[in-house]
Amino acid sequence: MAGGLAMAGGRLRHAEHVMGTVVSFDVPDWAGDPDGALAQAVRWLHWVDATFSPYRDDSDVTRFGRGSLGLSDCAPELAEILASCAAVSVRSGGYFTTAPGGRFDPSGYVKGWAIERAAAILTAAGSGSHCVNGGGDVQCVGEREPGRPWRIGIAHPLRSGSLALVVTGRDFAVATSGSAERGPHIINPHTGTPATDLASITVVGATLAETDAYATAAYAMGSAARDWLEALEGYEAFAVTPTGSAWQTTNFPAHVAR
Amino acid sequence: MTSVTGRPAPARHAGAGTEGWPAPGARGASQAPAPSRSAQPSGPGTSHRPSPGKFSANTVLAVIGLGALAVVILWWHTTPDVSGLGGWLTGAGEILGLLAGYGVVVLVALMARLPPLERGVGTDRLARWHAMGGRYIVSVIVAHGLLILWGYAVEAHTSVVSETGVLLTEYPDVLMATVAGFLLLGVGIVSMRAARRRMGYETWYYLHLYTYLAIALAFSHQFAVGASFVNSLAARFWWSAMYLIVAALVLWYRLVVPVLAFYRHGFKVIGVKLEGPGVTSVYIGGAHLEELAAEPGQFFRWRFLTRSLWWSSHPYSLSAAPGKGVLRITVKDLGDHSEALASLRPGTRVMAEGPFGAFTSRGSERGVLLLAGGVGITPLRAMFSTLPGPVTLIYRASSERDLVFREELDSIASARGATVHYLIGSRAQLGGDPLSPRVLRSLVPGLQRHDVYVCGPAGMTSAAVEALQAAGVPKRHIHFESFEF
Amino acid sequence: MRRVILAVTATIAGLVALLSFKSHVPAIAAATSGTGVSSGGTSGSGSGSGSGASGSGSGGSSSGGQGFATGKQTGLTANEHTVTGNVANTIYGPVQIQLVVKDNKIVKVSVLQQPSNTIHDIQIGQFAFPRLIAETLAAQNAKIDSVSGATYTSGGYIQSLQTAVDKGI
Repeated sequence: MAGGLAMAGGRLRHAEHVMGTVVSFDVPDWAGDPDGALAQAVRWLHWVDATFSPYRDDSDVTRFGRGSLGLSDCAPELAEILASCAAVSVRSGGYFTTAPGGRFDPSGYVKGWAIERAAAILTAAGSGSHCVNGGGDVQCVGEREPGRPWRIGIAHPLRSGSLALVVTGRDFAVATSGSAERGPHIINPHTGTPATDLASITVVGATLAETDAYATAAYAMGSAARDWLEALEGYEAFAVTPTGSAWQTTNFPAHVAR
Repeated sequence: MTSVTGRPAPARHAGAGTEGWPAPGARGASQAPAPSRSAQPSGPGTSHRPSPGKFSANTVLAVIGLGALAVVILWWHTTPDVSGLGGWLTGAGEILGLLAGYGVVVLVALMARLPPLERGVGTDRLARWHAMGGRYIVSVIVAHGLLILWGYAVEAHTSVVSETGVLLTEYPDVLMATVAGFLLLGVGIVSMRAARRRMGYETWYYLHLYTYLAIALAFSHQFAVGASFVNSLAARFWWSAMYLIVAALVLWYRLVVPVLAFYRHGFKVIGVKLEGPGVTSVYIGGAHLEELAAEPGQFFRWRFLTRSLWWSSHPYSLSAAPGKGVLRITVKDLGDHSEALASLRPGTRVMAEGPFGAFTSRGSERGVLLLAGGVGITPLRAMFSTLPGPVTLIYRASSERDLVFREELDSIASARGATVHYLIGSRAQLGGDPLSPRVLRSLVPGLQRHDVYVCGPAGMTSAAVEALQAAGVPKRHIHFESFEF
Repeated sequence: MRRVILAVTATIAGLVALLSFKSHVPAIAAATSGTGVSSGGTSGSGSGSGSGASGSGSGGSSSGGQGFATGKQTGLTANEHTVTGNVANTIYGPVQIQLVVKDNKIVKVSVLQQPSNTIHDIQIGQFAFPRLIAETLAAQNAKIDSVSGATYTSGGYIQSLQTAVDKGI
C-alpha cells in the first residue's frame, strides 16, 4: 500500500496503488477525521480489488465466471453490479458488455462504481467536497472551494503531456475511455475488432459508475457514439479522433472551462 | 368488303389522281405511275442526291447510354469515400442529380428536330422516347431533391424541416433549382394522358415550353453546390459544353432552319380542295422544293401565317409525292385547327419545317403492303403512287363516308396494276375482325415475304401489327408510324 | 408497368452498387489510431492490469514511452521523426496528416491537406469535420485539480499528468 500523504494547508491528497492503477484522493479542506475516512475508503478499494478483479484466481468474479461459485455465494454487490451492467448494456445497444471476448469481466462497470463508492464513504464521513480519481476516471463531490467548481483537465490523447480541454463542475463525474495509455484494447463487441474510430472519448455525468460504463461503450461504438450520446439524457461528451480533431455533444460546452 | 383491281375509274374531280396541280382531264392512265422525281430511285445505281445521314435507333440509344456511363464515372472520380447513413443518402442524391442534369439535355436533344435523328429514329419514336424518358427524369429529380435533403439533414445533425430552410436560404441557387423541380413536376403532371385529353394540344404545348425555363433555372445550382463540379474546372467545362451544344442545336434546327427555309422556299398556299365531308386538301407551293428531299411517307410541321393560326404548328403528312413546286397535305377535320384550314386563302404564307419521319420506303421486289386505317391513309396514299415493285393497299374505314381519295386510289391502282382492298364497316357488319391474320393472308398472297407499312390510329396500328406478326410477317419487315399528340 | 418496375429496380440497384463500392473505411496511412503506443510487456503492480474496459483483449498493458514531454515541440530531437500520411479520402474530402512521433508516441499532429470548402463542407464542418484543436494546454498553466484520461496503469501513472497534479505541481 504505497502512496504518500501530502498535506498543504488543510488539503489532503493521497495516491493509492490498487486495482492495477493508482487512485488519487483530493480533499481540499476538512475539519473532520480525514485519515480515518480515507483509510476506510482505501480499505474499500482493496476489498473491491480482491473480490472483483478478473486477474485474481480467487476473486469472486473469477470463480463466478468459471462457474465454481454460485451468485448467491458471491458478495451481494455482484448481483447488484450485474443488474446495473445489464441496464447499461441495453441502453448502449450492446456496446457495453460484461463478457468481452467471452470471458466474464464486469470491470468496465466495477472500477467506476468502486470509485463512486469510495467518494461516498468520504461524504458519509462528513466531507462536503472531495475528488477521487481512479486511473483517469473522476468523481467529484461538492466544489473545490465555495464558489469555485472543480477543474478537471482532459488529457490530450495524441499529445502526451498536454490537455485537450478543461471541464468544470460540481457534484459530477468525468470518465475518459481511449487508447492512449494501453493501445487499442477496447474491442467492439459487435464486430470483434478493436475500436479505432476515436482516440479518446470523455463523458460527463452525475455518477461515475454509469458515466464510466457509458464512456467505455461509446468508445467501442466509435463514430456512431455521437448520436447516441446526444440522445442520452444527463450525459455530455467530448471526443478526439485519431487525426486530432474533436467533436462535442450539444450541451457539452456548458462544462468547458473558460 | 370491296376490292378494286385494274378497273379504270372516271376522274370526278379536277386534279384527282394527279401528282401535280392541276392536271386537266386527268385520266388514271395518263398520270405518272412511275416514281416522281424527288422520291426514291427506280433501281440501284440511279444517281440522285445522297440521302442525308441517319442515326439508327440502336446507335442513338448506345450514345445515350455511354453518356450516362460517363456521368457515373464523373461522380466516381470526384467523390471521396462514402460512409454512414448521411453519406449514402447524399451520395445517392448526387448520382441522381447528375443523371438528371444529363437526362434533361438528352430529352431536349431528342426533340431538337435533328435531321439524322428524325430520319433515322423516326419522329414518332423520338416522341415516345421523350415521353418515357421525361417521366423517368422527373421522378429522378424528385428523388434527388428528397435524398439530398435527407442526407444533408443527417450529416448536419439537424431535422429535415430545418435543413429545408437552410438549403433554400443559405445554399446558393438551390431555391431556383427547387422552383425548377416543381415546374418540371408540374409539366410532367399535365403531360399525363389523363390531363392531356382535357386540354387542347396548343395549351399543352405552351405549358410544355416551361421546361426550358426550368432547365435554365436549375443549371447554376449544379455548379454552385454540386460536389462533382466544385473542384473540377474540367468537369464544369465539359458539362457546360454539353448544354451549350444542345442549346445551339435547338436554336438552329427549331428556330433558324424554319426561318431560312421560309425565305428560301417561300411557301404559300396555292389552293384548298374539299375531298369529302370534313376532309380538306391544301396545296402548298414553293421554290426549290427538291432541296428538301422530301420522301413520300414523310410529314412537315406547318405553320399557316394567318391571324388565328400563326401561333401553332401542326404536323401533317404529305398526301401525295412532292410534285414540281407543289406539296399536298390532306387533313381530316378533327379540331379547331383542321377546321380552319378549309378556309385558307390562296397566297397565305406558310412556314414549313421538315421533312420529318422515318416512315419511308424504297419499295421491294418481294412486295409491299400498305395498311391504312382512317386518317392514316394520308402518307400511304403518297407512297402508293410512287413505290416501285408490287404494291397492295388495304384501307380500313368505318364507313363509306370516311373513305378519302377513293377515286385517286382506284386510278392509281389501275394505272400501275396494283390492288386496293377497301375494308369498310364496323366489325359487326363485316362479320368479324377484318384485320385478322387469316383475312390478311387471304387478301395478300405471299404476305410473309412482304414489307408492310401500317399507319392509322394508335389502337388500330398496334392491333394490326400484332395480327401481321401472327400471320407470319417478321417483325423487321413491319413499319409503322403512330402519333399521339 | 413492367418498364416502370424495371427502370426503378435498375436505378436502385445501380445506386446501391456504386455507393457500396465507395464505402470502404478510409485509412489514414502510417498513423495508427492515435495511440503510438506499442503493446506488450509490463504489468503494473502485483494485481496485474486493472479495470478492463468492455472487451479488453490484450492481457498485457503498456505504459508507453519513457519520456515525459510537456508543452510545445520546437524542432525535432534525436528520438523524433516525422511520418507523413498518404492523402486519405475521408467522408469530407481529402485529408493529409503529418505526425511527429517520438518514442512510439505521437507528439504532434499537423494537417497538410483539408477538404476544400463548399458551403456544405462549412455547414457540416461546424459539427462534424473538426478543426484541429489549436490550443494545447500545458498542464501547469491550467490550474487543474485532476486529470481525466485513458486509464493508466500503476506504471503508467508515473508518466501521467495526474502524478504532477497529485504532487501539487
